[in-house]
Amino acid sequence: MRNFGLRIADCGFPKLAAYAGALIAIFIAGCDRTTSDPRAGTNPQPAIRNPQLTIPERGVYAGAYIEFGDNEDTVTLEKIANFDRLVGKEQAIIASSSYWGEQTFPKANMELIARYGAVPLVFWSPWDRPYVEGLGPDKYSLTSIIAGEHDGYIDLWADSAREFGSPIIVSFANEPNGSWFPWSGLHYGGDKLLPGATNDYEGPEIFKKAWRHIVDRVRARGAKNVQFVLHLMDYSDPQEEWNLAEHYYPGADYVDWLGFSLYGDQFHNDEGWANFFPLFDWPYTELCLLDPAKPIMVCEWGCGEFPEKGSKAQWIRDGFRIMKDTKKYPRLKACVFWHERWQNDDGLYSNLRVNSTPASQQAYREGFADAFFLSRPLFKDGMSEKR
Amino acid sequence: MSTPEAPKRFVFQDPRGRRWPRLRRVLLAWCVMVALAVVWFFQAVFVRPELKLPHSIRSLKGQLHSAIKETERTTDDPNVINWQKYYATSQAAMERLTRIRAQLRKKRSGDSEIRLGFYVDWDENSFASLEEHAGTLTHIAPEWFTLTKTTSDLTYSADAKLSTFAASHGLEVMPLLRNLEDDDWQPEAVENLATGSADKRAQFVKTLVADLKSGNADGVIIDWELVDPAYKDAYTHLLTELSDALHDAEMELWFLVSPGDAFETFDLEELSAVVDRFVALLADENSDSDKPGPISSLDWLEGWLKVIDNTGDPNQWIIGLGAYAYDWNETTKKTETISFKDAMSRASYAGVDLDGRTVEVAAPAYNGVFSYSEPTGDHTVSFLDAISFFNQLRAVRHAGFAGVAVSRLGSEDPSLWDVFDAAVRPASGALAALGKLHASDTITHVGSGEIVTVDDTRDDGERHITIEPDGNLRASYVDFPTYPILYHQGAGGQHEVALTFDDGPDPEWTPRILDILKERGVKAAFFIVGKNAEDHPALVQRILDEGHEIGNHTYSHANLAIMSPARMRLELNMTQRLIESITGRSTTLFRPPYNADSNPTKIEELTPLKIAQEELDYTVVLEKVDPQDWARPGADVIVQRVKDLRNEGNLVLLHDAGGDRSQTVEALPKIIDYLQMRGDRIVSLSELLNIPRDELMPPADAAAQPVERLVTSAGFRLWRVVIEFFWAFMIFATVLVVLRTLVVAWLAQRHHVEGISAARALNPSTLDLRPSTPLSVIIAAFNEGKVIAKTLHSVLKTDYAGDIEVVVVDDGSKDDTAAEIERVAAADSRVRLIRQANAGKSHALRHGLANAAHGIIVFLDADTLFERGTLSAIVAPFSHPLIGAVSGNARVGNLRSFVARCQSLEYICGFNLDRRAYSEWNCVTVVPGAVSAIRRSAIVAAGGFSDDTLAEDTDLTLTLHRLGYQIAYAPEAIAWTEAPETWRTLAKQRFRWAFGTMQCLWKHRDIVFNPRFGSLGWFSLPGIWFYQILLVALTPLVDAILLFSLFSGHAAAIGWYFLIFLALDLGLAMLACYMEDEPLRRAFTIIPMRIIYRPLLAWVIWQAIIRVLKGAIVGWGKLERTGTVTART
Repeated sequence: MRNFGLRIADCGFPKLAAYAGALIAIFIAGCDRTTSDPRAGTNPQPAIRNPQLTIPERGVYAGAYIEFGDNEDTVTLEKIANFDRLVGKEQAIIASSSYWGEQTFPKANMELIARYGAVPLVFWSPWDRPYVEGLGPDKYSLTSIIAGEHDGYIDLWADSAREFGSPIIVSFANEPNGSWFPWSGLHYGGDKLLPGATNDYEGPEIFKKAWRHIVDRVRARGAKNVQFVLHLMDYSDPQEEWNLAEHYYPGADYVDWLGFSLYGDQFHNDEGWANFFPLFDWPYTELCLLDPAKPIMVCEWGCGEFPEKGSKAQWIRDGFRIMKDTKKYPRLKACVFWHERWQNDDGLYSNLRVNSTPASQQAYREGFADAFFLSRPLFKDGMSEKR
Repeated sequence: MSTPEAPKRFVFQDPRGRRWPRLRRVLLAWCVMVALAVVWFFQAVFVRPELKLPHSIRSLKGQLHSAIKETERTTDDPNVINWQKYYATSQAAMERLTRIRAQLRKKRSGDSEIRLGFYVDWDENSFASLEEHAGTLTHIAPEWFTLTKTTSDLTYSADAKLSTFAASHGLEVMPLLRNLEDDDWQPEAVENLATGSADKRAQFVKTLVADLKSGNADGVIIDWELVDPAYKDAYTHLLTELSDALHDAEMELWFLVSPGDAFETFDLEELSAVVDRFVALLADENSDSDKPGPISSLDWLEGWLKVIDNTGDPNQWIIGLGAYAYDWNETTKKTETISFKDAMSRASYAGVDLDGRTVEVAAPAYNGVFSYSEPTGDHTVSFLDAISFFNQLRAVRHAGFAGVAVSRLGSEDPSLWDVFDAAVRPASGALAALGKLHASDTITHVGSGEIVTVDDTRDDGERHITIEPDGNLRASYVDFPTYPILYHQGAGGQHEVALTFDDGPDPEWTPRILDILKERGVKAAFFIVGKNAEDHPALVQRILDEGHEIGNHTYSHANLAIMSPARMRLELNMTQRLIESITGRSTTLFRPPYNADSNPTKIEELTPLKIAQEELDYTVVLEKVDPQDWARPGADVIVQRVKDLRNEGNLVLLHDAGGDRSQTVEALPKIIDYLQMRGDRIVSLSELLNIPRDELMPPADAAAQPVERLVTSAGFRLWRVVIEFFWAFMIFATVLVVLRTLVVAWLAQRHHVEGISAARALNPSTLDLRPSTPLSVIIAAFNEGKVIAKTLHSVLKTDYAGDIEVVVVDDGSKDDTAAEIERVAAADSRVRLIRQANAGKSHALRHGLANAAHGIIVFLDADTLFERGTLSAIVAPFSHPLIGAVSGNARVGNLRSFVARCQSLEYICGFNLDRRAYSEWNCVTVVPGAVSAIRRSAIVAAGGFSDDTLAEDTDLTLTLHRLGYQIAYAPEAIAWTEAPETWRTLAKQRFRWAFGTMQCLWKHRDIVFNPRFGSLGWFSLPGIWFYQILLVALTPLVDAILLFSLFSGHAAAIGWYFLIFLALDLGLAMLACYMEDEPLRRAFTIIPMRIIYRPLLAWVIWQAIIRVLKGAIVGWGKLERTGTVTART
């Protein structure tokens, strides 16, 4: 995550993108698989042989990212259980990262989350140590991915994911429409038009190419339990035509979920106060325009605690109220809260923890208490669906 | 009393006197053999089993390797807090400083040096250090308060021990208030309090001041970390409110500042007017979350002193100096905060000082660093010592600070205390003294994990100390000291955890736990208690068969801390032998009972571990995850405690015995679920230690110590057989006693009812015997002068209608018996005296019989009084022609003493009730000589009174049975006899009875279980064998075992057993009293009787048995007559 100083006021009204073509099944159909379920024997849940995540008819999967450390990958049951205690319910989704610099598949994290009973959302981020924002592309650049330089790692990751067997939602190279990560379109030519094109900009095009490369390889390894979420920033930075969501959409074939990060104020020194509604309403609408049917996920949402500027508790209450509005936002099916406190370079802190104040914690508890926000994922048996 | 005329066929007589010597020889031989076997057994148990402790556990020193590695100082590391960032040299800053100092100097000039000690209550060394050095300190800072959670909860953990100590040593108590919970700083607690409502702040201040007062504190030290500088002013405001309240209460507010952010997070300039003191803790240059490096290098410290000097008035500041060490495991990335002594032991163990190598505490850091490696990883240790403390203290004093703080008590170099008052330039003698590193009893720790090995060797060390040109001290560690070491192993991987169960096996809970483990495919270790293993060998085998490990948990779950080494050896060896004999395997695993945790702090606690490990070659397995399931806190609490403690260690302690373990059984699946969910692999100890199971539990080698193993296993088995036989016998006997009681009660009741209806229906015309049938009454008398006249009168006064003659045989009495008889005879012609030389009772009776004229003979003892109706009643049954003899109802007439009262009750509910019952089935075993009537024809047919037993009445009765006569009982024929009034005479009488009875039983042994004799052979005679001989003889043994069981914790079961028996006895006694028209309350005498009377009877039986074995002849055992019997009419 981490976005810096992006304001609604910067937004121009974007052009509407053309609707995507054919409607393609979102859900990956079941298939014959002989690998054993790693949860067998240890999972207290009723055993589904070939679990597939279903999109709830009604309700929104609720989950969280819970301060999993510098690399966002030290997932422990203690942290999850502590968060459950704070918010009064279990999580349907647990988010964590898998940084390419580690060159591993986060098997232990995936297994732990599955045993806990949630679906892992993995930020599969192609960057190298020291994982510092603003440095620009490194050895895991999008171009090197496209060139096949990391196919070995991608295959290893995909094989491990397949062996893991349970559903995983993967957010590859998140927030590419931002300016802070090395995989941002900004770093790959940005608004430079492709030769001969009028509406295809180099930055987003390279991102999409890399995305398709990843998805193709993962699917080729048979990791059908992996779903992909295109995970953008709520508002692009820079907020320019070439950097809008439509340009980052790799196509219905390559995406299972459409998602975005949604942050209220994060820094003491920011001016003003951003309410939840505009942060949610437009990005939701923008994503809906990419595809007529795909479910929408708020991959990250959170807000700093700045009592002098605005009420985080109110912001959270607004969030739960608005996300529950099924008439306006029928396609919202998941939301993942970003629970973290960090210190900024100026020495001041950003406190996005759910319990930054008793009032904020209470607001989250009350909002989350609504059964509409699902605390467990629903599975179906991929085998039986096939029959 | 044997006489020359002793009959040849006296039962049990051993004329040649060979039986006893022969028996004695056999007995002696047996005793020797048994004694030898016992000695052999214990010798085998004491001889330590030859365990082969896995080599990898034993050779510890070999596992640690020194690795001299220069550790770079990491001041370039972005994580290291550089003082330079905070050091301002601007003119404005300097001016401000001068202003502040001028103000403050006024207040504090002339203060003596403050010496503050940081204190923790979780390390006993901390208190030990405080006790020893209280005189050097002025202030003490315990960890009393926390401000945590988003709701800013203030918690206070009072420490009365410390308050009392501080008060008595003149120490000011300045407790810490930190926003820390476990290892987690909680900035929101401070931020929300500071920015929250005024009410909340006021409440906080009020509560804190009240708590401080109640703890007799002199103020508080605020230590708030990681809080957001955005609320700087709010913090100042909050602290001002607190300061005002504290000052009103005459307490001080101190404020702890860590180097780094705190200098900007808080408005120290404003605060200087609010707080009384600042405490700057100048350590953790490289902390546990950083890479290895100096904890506090001297130039770094001096830099920070400059920063502080620039920030405020040094005289308001106390400088906290580090006195501890860090051990970074660079493989597992875990860092341990350890004591100076721990660091010394690690260096010494790893051999850092071997081959002339040294560790230098020298410029520029003056911070000791060394590296070593052990199987789990490569370590770097950084330590602060008395030398670094000297140099730092020198810098602090030089800059004019108000004082110093030691962080913390208990982890410091003991020489640190000598530095406080050392000269600025110590003399060479002082340097030499500082150079000595004296080993002490403090336990140090090496390694990680809860499987421990003790090495209590200690060894002094040495460092060479020199003075540098700049006046700093420099140390060169040439020989590291060794303190007693607890070497920890078995930490395993991050996600390896082992389950252990103590105290079993238990027949109820162990199988249920095994079932759960089997179902979940989990292997565990069971530390079994020897005596439980002995009771449930099949469970021990099952534990092993299902792949679990077995460890030794002593034989009796005894507390090793209060036990002699010899007893401890026995406890361990007994259990080991048991495990061997049951499973064919030994175990090298041992866990001491009552082990509080895996960190013994007192040297005495190491001794048992050392014996177990060094002498007996065990691997000592302790534990860190102890949810205290034995205390039954609730299954959910047990699970929660495991969750809370899991990060502390990887050995989970549960219990499968020692009480109701249903909560443990309920919690176990949830614990397994939880551990597996968090990603743990539940492994066996052998997996954790990476040692094959066959090494941890070696198959007992048939060739090793074969004799010892044979003897011990035979011994254990024999003991088991004995115990099992005992319990089987107890159950068998109990059942028989209950049955007999019920049968007797039923028969007696039937007899009683029949008797009443018979009496109602009594019509003389129905009798074929006229009530006037003449009777002969025969009395044998020997020295009965006191009573004989009374006896005769009671007979003569009868209401019997027919003729009677009374034949009295004086058996050569030495007193006036004959004269008394003569006197009565002179007055009443029905009485006749016959005299004979002393020849025994049967002879006298035969003599009397020969002189009796009539067909029905009534016998009574010379000391027995008849009632008026006795003769009529005793004769009545002879109306039936088959009746050969009738027993009267003998009752005790002298009730003066307790002994006699006991016998009275015994006659009523024992003899007479039995007799009623027996007569129902025609199996009366004795028609007592005291009061009975026998047909002369029957006596003749029986061959008269025999001489070959002491119980001629029993002998005759049994003979009559053989002849086919029936024996009746006439309860209305009451005769009052005189019972012995002292224990001695009673014992004598009963001995005679017992011996006589045994003689008769032996003589008539063919009757027993002979179908021809019906219930005599199947009920009454076997009853005598079993209930009156065997059971009575075994009473003392049974009582002893029951008493032992009582003390060994089976009180409840035994209590019920006793109550049931007492109730049975009491019920029977009441029934008997009711039938005999005695007051029911007399039945309660049965309760004391049971306690006093039983042992006497047992003693008598044993006397008789011994006499039987010896084969001696027994005389009459004449009772001393007192003449106190009065007939009750």
